[in-house]
Amino acid sequence: MIEVHGLYKSFGDKEVLKDINARFETGKTSLIIGASGSGKSTLTRCLVGLIDPNEGHVLYDGRDFLLMGTKERKRIRKEIGFLFQHSALFDFMTVEENVRFPLDMLTNMSKKEKDNRVAFVLERVELSHAHKLHPSELSGGMKKRVGIARAISPKPRYLFCDEPNSGLDPQTSIVIDSLIQEITHENDITTLVITHDMNSVIEIGEQIFFIHKGELWWEGTQHEILKTDNKELLSFVDASGFLTNKKG
Amino acid sequence: MAAFLFHLGRYMILMWRVFSRPEKLSIYRKRLFDEMVSLGIDSLGIIMVISVFMGAVITIQTAANIDSAFIPTYTIGFTTRQSTILEFSPTIMALILAGKIGSNIASEIGLMRVTEQIDALEIMGVNSRAFLILPKVVAAVLINPFLVVISMFVSIGGGYLIAMFSDIVTIADYVYGIQLDFRFYHVVYALSKSAVFAFILTSVPAYQGYYASGSALEVGKASTRGVVQSSIIILVANYIITQLFLI
Ligand SMILES: Nc1ncnc2c1ncn2[C@@H]1O[C@H](COP(=O)(O)OP(=O)(O)OP(=O)(O)O)[C@@H](O)[C@H]1O
Ligand SMILES: [Mg+2]
Repeated sequence: MIEVHGLYKSFGDKEVLKDINARFETGKTSLIIGASGSGKSTLTRCLVGLIDPNEGHVLYDGRDFLLMGTKERKRIRKEIGFLFQHSALFDFMTVEENVRFPLDMLTNMSKKEKDNRVAFVLERVELSHAHKLHPSELSGGMKKRVGIARAISPKPRYLFCDEPNSGLDPQTSIVIDSLIQEITHENDITTLVITHDMNSVIEIGEQIFFIHKGELWWEGTQHEILKTDNKELLSFVDASGFLTNKKG
Repeated sequence: MAAFLFHLGRYMILMWRVFSRPEKLSIYRKRLFDEMVSLGIDSLGIIMVISVFMGAVITIQTAANIDSAFIPTYTIGFTTRQSTILEFSPTIMALILAGKIGSNIASEIGLMRVTEQIDALEIMGVNSRAFLILPKVVAAVLINPFLVVISMFVSIGGGYLIAMFSDIVTIADYVYGIQLDFRFYHVVYALSKSAVFAFILTSVPAYQGYYASGSALEVGKASTRGVVQSSIIILVANYIITQLFLI
């Protein structure tokens, strides 16, 4: 479980996050939605310590991340898997080496254990056949799947996915979404997904957090979101064309 | 001036973090080895070609400048050796490598920055500064003196070719000249400064790449800045080292 209390972040004069309070439950996929520029990426970056917020607390199962020194932070970071918006695969490594890298750096597994883990994870994302390829030889969807494989290979307790569906066709999006949800349930981990995609919201949004202009505007479940009368949220859902598609 | 101090300070802090204790030695060893192989082998060809012409030109120019009958022709060999060892091999090679390796390092690291690969390393709890920069700097500092020694031999060999194929100096005089009054200290001085240059030509572009931001366009600019700045710093360092150790 990840809890956020009173989180503020400004860049210069510009206040990007205002008093964010949220609780992301273990064993569930929590979705963060909101318009472009509303502060979603900034929020996740604050949570994992890539950016330092101006104020607030972030608790990883009760452990206050922002109060920690470098060493303790490192210990928490080892429990975090992160899928970047553009995958951020290491392009001087093959698919297999990318997935093995966190194991090399973070664990004391034997070579045999690493081999097994890499094979298992690649199987899981259905990329066993591509293990010798370099990132430049992969399609966008394959890159995302390698990104997921790399994020989950050291068995993280917390998984962050920044727009796992951006730039993918609807079918591939569904595959990626269900993969993320299955992994969350299988391993009973805390998963945060940033998305623009209303299909994902309805498919996998067990908990949904709507960010509007840097504030947490609304939160609820995938069932509640369709009945909402919140004006800003409605206009966000409308703009995505989701409801019109369903009705039409 | 404020900008200069800002960059200097940030560069120092970067270097401090680069040389903090690495977490997994086995991985660093492998990366260091790879870097040394690629640095050494990739640069060998260009260094030999440039050095042979460099030596040939120094020999011809020295000969052209000596028109007094009182100066013996073995001076040509002597001057070729001295200029090669003291200045041309260490400094010219450093400038060449600043262009070749420096731009490479800046764009490689800069691209990793803009594609969030550096963030990915940091998330995994890896010290990205040490992981990306340390092997390159150490490899260059270890390999560059060897490249410079090779350059010295090839350059003096270039002069020898001139002695062989022209009549401006006899082979005997040239060979006598290059052996005359040889001081080992000069080689030590040259190799020490080539190690310093290697540090500059890897760490300055690495700094530029590491703090690149935005787009691929920015990476290109960072790479150019890295090459220009490291070249200038090499020349300044050359002056300072020479002033301190050769007089
Ligand atoms: N490093 C930074 N320096 C200054 N401003 C920033 C920085 N990072 C983000 N911002 C600003 O913060 C705001 C929120 O950005 P953020 O990337 O969090 O949005 P987002 O919700 O993830 O948008 P998108 O859906 O387009 O990815 C934007 O207005 C952006 O300009
Ligand atoms: Mg974003």
